[in-house]
Amino acid sequence: MRTVQPLLDIQKLFVNYDGIQALEDVTLAVYPGEIVTLIGANGAGKSTTLRSISRLIKPHSGEMLYGGRSLSHLRAHEVVRLGIAQVPEGRRVLTRQSVFDNLLLGAYTRNDTHAIAEDIDRHFTTFPRLAERRNQLAGTLSGGEQQMLAIARALMSRPKLLLLDEPSLGLAPIMVQEIFTIIQRLHASGVTILLVEQNATLALKYADRGYVLEAGRITMSGPASSLLTDERVKQAYLG
Amino acid sequence: MFAVGYTLIFSILRIINFAHAAIFTLGAYFTYALTGSAFGYNGLLKNSALPIHLPFLLAAVVGAMLAGLVAIVIERLAFRPLRNRGADPLLSLVSSLGVAVVIVNVIQYLVGAENYSYPAQPYGNLPTAINFGLGSQRIPVRTVQIVIFGVSVVIMLLLTYWLNRTKTGKALRAIAEDATTASLLGINTDQLILLTFFLSGMVGGLSGALIGSSVSIAGPYFGISFGLRGLAVIVLGGLGDIPGAIVGGVVLGLAEAFVPVQYIAYKDAVAFAVLFLMLLLRPQGLLGRAELQKV
Ligand SMILES: Nc1ncnc2c1ncn2[C@@H]1O[C@H](COP(=O)(O)OP(=O)(O)OP(=O)(O)O)[C@@H](O)[C@H]1O
Ligand SMILES: [Mg+2]
Repeated sequence: MRTVQPLLDIQKLFVNYDGIQALEDVTLAVYPGEIVTLIGANGAGKSTTLRSISRLIKPHSGEMLYGGRSLSHLRAHEVVRLGIAQVPEGRRVLTRQSVFDNLLLGAYTRNDTHAIAEDIDRHFTTFPRLAERRNQLAGTLSGGEQQMLAIARALMSRPKLLLLDEPSLGLAPIMVQEIFTIIQRLHASGVTILLVEQNATLALKYADRGYVLEAGRITMSGPASSLLTDERVKQAYLG
Repeated sequence: MFAVGYTLIFSILRIINFAHAAIFTLGAYFTYALTGSAFGYNGLLKNSALPIHLPFLLAAVVGAMLAGLVAIVIERLAFRPLRNRGADPLLSLVSSLGVAVVIVNVIQYLVGAENYSYPAQPYGNLPTAINFGLGSQRIPVRTVQIVIFGVSVVIMLLLTYWLNRTKTGKALRAIAEDATTASLLGINTDQLILLTFFLSGMVGGLSGALIGSSVSIAGPYFGISFGLRGLAVIVLGGLGDIPGAIVGGVVLGLAEAFVPVQYIAYKDAVAFAVLFLMLLLRPQGLLGRAELQKV
């Protein structure tokens, strides 16, 4: 048994949309410093799980603890202040604002102007493609560039826990590789990551542990390496 | 100017707030009351007056703030519940129309339906008109109208600066584009929307007071006819575009000025004709470009 406390602890989470059950009895934990991946088919409830954590939707029942503290009565913008940032599915950059302003808004919860400017410079060093386009409207960026921007923007709040919803979706293989390299680098710098992916092979290669979600229920979980070799997982998700 | 407040809410929330017309009326009446003037023959408050006598401009500013507070109450009661349920924007429109009707009726009940005029010379000793013509060709423009135009331009510049250059303004534009994503960035969307309603209510209330000082407060329906024209103006300007709303106001003002005196009753029809033409020919507004395609 582990002795450390989980950073994120979800217990018996039930969510329904207009009476349709989207999550049933979901229990999962993410420990400090881990990359945990949540894999599953379309409509399995992966995004629903992340949306519940960010308090974009209100679960029907269940408990979500972050660093031992309940998230249940918070509103979405308050969760960010606790150190949870989400890169939503489909990137959702602010297309009508500049790359620079997108990053600036990522730091909306902070007031340390100097450190914010330093962080923006740092991200521009890591993502030179964003630096070249800093004054461009984010809507004019390519899909891969938008994904980088969405990740950099989430990092601007200096999160302890980063929720990534299908960061590889719709990207060319080279770009996918680049995004995963970024994820690995974030992990090395100490950010805890909950990664939702359909690209199960890649996600399991980079993750420490994984959960498999099927029709709103967790059906399997364990170390990523053993899921990667599990026959059932191979059959269903690794093709 | 009236249109600026409309536009502010529309550009952020994509809803047309009909209650704005009623807030405009309220701003005019609040200001009237604050100057210490008495209310007339009908209504519950007949012959009563506030014991304070503020000078017109101060009364207009305070009246505008009160109108802003009313706008906040309207947002809490009529809009937020619908937004939280993810209701159809059409419902908000109907809801705001309902609020407008209620306010108009309350005004009528309290102070009756007659016209009110502000105390003489609201702008102190300024001449009532200024001649812009040359020599014998006199082109007098009333001082009130210059004041209204000047205030509109200043408000427009301030709002444009605020929306584009400040952190709060940028956050507000983020809400306008995608409220869910804005909240993922830690932006308190309800709070900023409330601020938007307050500012828009203030601008609306102030325009009520100023326009009331230009003509007179033409009864509880005062704001509604301006409301229709305001709608034409924001379409002219390109929905949700604040500098556009000002240009639209000027263009509509000019168009109406060309209506011959004997047809003056058809002024509102001109507004609507302009509105239809614009929707047909240039739905993106006078200054607008076609909107950026979503990626
Ligand atoms: N806003 C909504 N209203 C009603 N039902 C919804 C809503 N959002 C999601 N659902 C349903 O809930 C279930 C889970 O959806 P969710 O988006 O969490 O799936 P997902 O695992 O993220 O899928 P994908 O891989 O396609 O992104 C689906 O059956 C979906 O149809
Ligand atoms: Mg999803």
